[in-house]
Amino acid sequence: MSPAEKGSDGTEGHLSPEDRAEFKRRSAEIGRKLDAARPQSGASKRGQGSKDGDSNALVGRALRLSTELIGGIVVGTALGWWFDTYLMPTVFGVKTWPLMFIVFFLLGSAAGMLNVVRSGMKMKTGPSDPSKGPAVPDDEDDVK
Amino acid sequence: MAAEGHGHSPIEQFEIKELLPINIFGVDASLTNSGAYMIVALSLIFGFLYFSTGGRSLVPTRMQSISELLYEFVANTVRENVGNQGMQFFPLVFSLFIFVLVLNLLGMIPIPGITFTVTSHIAITGALAIMVISIVIFYGLYKHGLGFFKIFVPSGVPLALYPLLIPIEIISFISRPISLSVRLFANMLAGHIALKIFAGFIGVLLGAGAWAILAPLPLALTVALTALEVLVAVLQAYVFAVLTCIYLSDAVHGSH
Repeated sequence: MSPAEKGSDGTEGHLSPEDRAEFKRRSAEIGRKLDAARPQSGASKRGQGSKDGDSNALVGRALRLSTELIGGIVVGTALGWWFDTYLMPTVFGVKTWPLMFIVFFLLGSAAGMLNVVRSGMKMKTGPSDPSKGPAVPDDEDDVK
Repeated sequence: MAAEGHGHSPIEQFEIKELLPINIFGVDASLTNSGAYMIVALSLIFGFLYFSTGGRSLVPTRMQSISELLYEFVANTVRENVGNQGMQFFPLVFSLFIFVLVLNLLGMIPIPGITFTVTSHIAITGALAIMVISIVIFYGLYKHGLGFFKIFVPSGVPLALYPLLIPIEIISFISRPISLSVRLFANMLAGHIALKIFAGFIGVLLGAGAWAILAPLPLALTVALTALEVLVAVLQAYVFAVLTCIYLSDAVHGSH
């Protein structure tokens, strides 16, 4: 491929007719290949692109589910504990320990489940939703 | 050759070191290795994007192609998850993605005594997550007013269940920044600890007489783990960007 190969016979910078023909043939071939590839990739870009993204993101999504569940439980339990130890006794003057703690642990678990189910549904249907908004990029300007 | 005897603890790599003490009116704003890594990352990102897009040729050079691919990748992610309206958040998502990606990958480059993974600290990932969720809340309130809080009200549910479901929805919302930050930080932390531990086994085995014959095993595992860690580094940056998009989608479109 390197020019040194072709021009090593002392004709550097000066292409022989057969080199010229060879170059023309190659460039025409590349042009044909590009033309053949272009409409194909253009048409399948949406479908294929998202499919590729999906398979790439599968591991990431699997990793996501675990933290979704734990996040819900941790936040629920922390909220319940805070209600019990701070909010209820000092602000409302009621002793609720361990009622809120238990209730919010259950609510948090439910929220964690909900998170998991939601991201699970998103995986199933795919994140794209054409009905989610108009296909106008800058319609935000109208709102202002 | 006792590895642990020399302070080669697997979590030593996460230590914050003060490089340049700066004190602004009693506030400790010293330059640490974490800050230095962030500055390096930002310079790399800025330099790369600036010079690779400087040519702006119609047929892109290799470097320009990388920039364009990055742009298209993030732009498609934003469009898929938020819709075209979400493109106003493209700069945010792109910055977050590139920042986290470069920091994750910089942490994978081993420089003895220096290597530091900024994203393995929850202070960083937590700050990023709080920023994202603040933008979601403020933009949601700005766009939908108080109607933004309808995202806490599930649709198509009998009224009697609201007292149960609304707290669940609120907890679910609050858990988002936590799972967002914990996921990134835990992945980077656990990955680098695992790498260090398995790499430490090599030295321990080599120093254990006849057991040295087993030393290639953890070496092979370390090589495999390194590859996995590079994958995780890229994947977690992507996941962070995708989740940012999903949360922004709530702010843009209101209730789901």
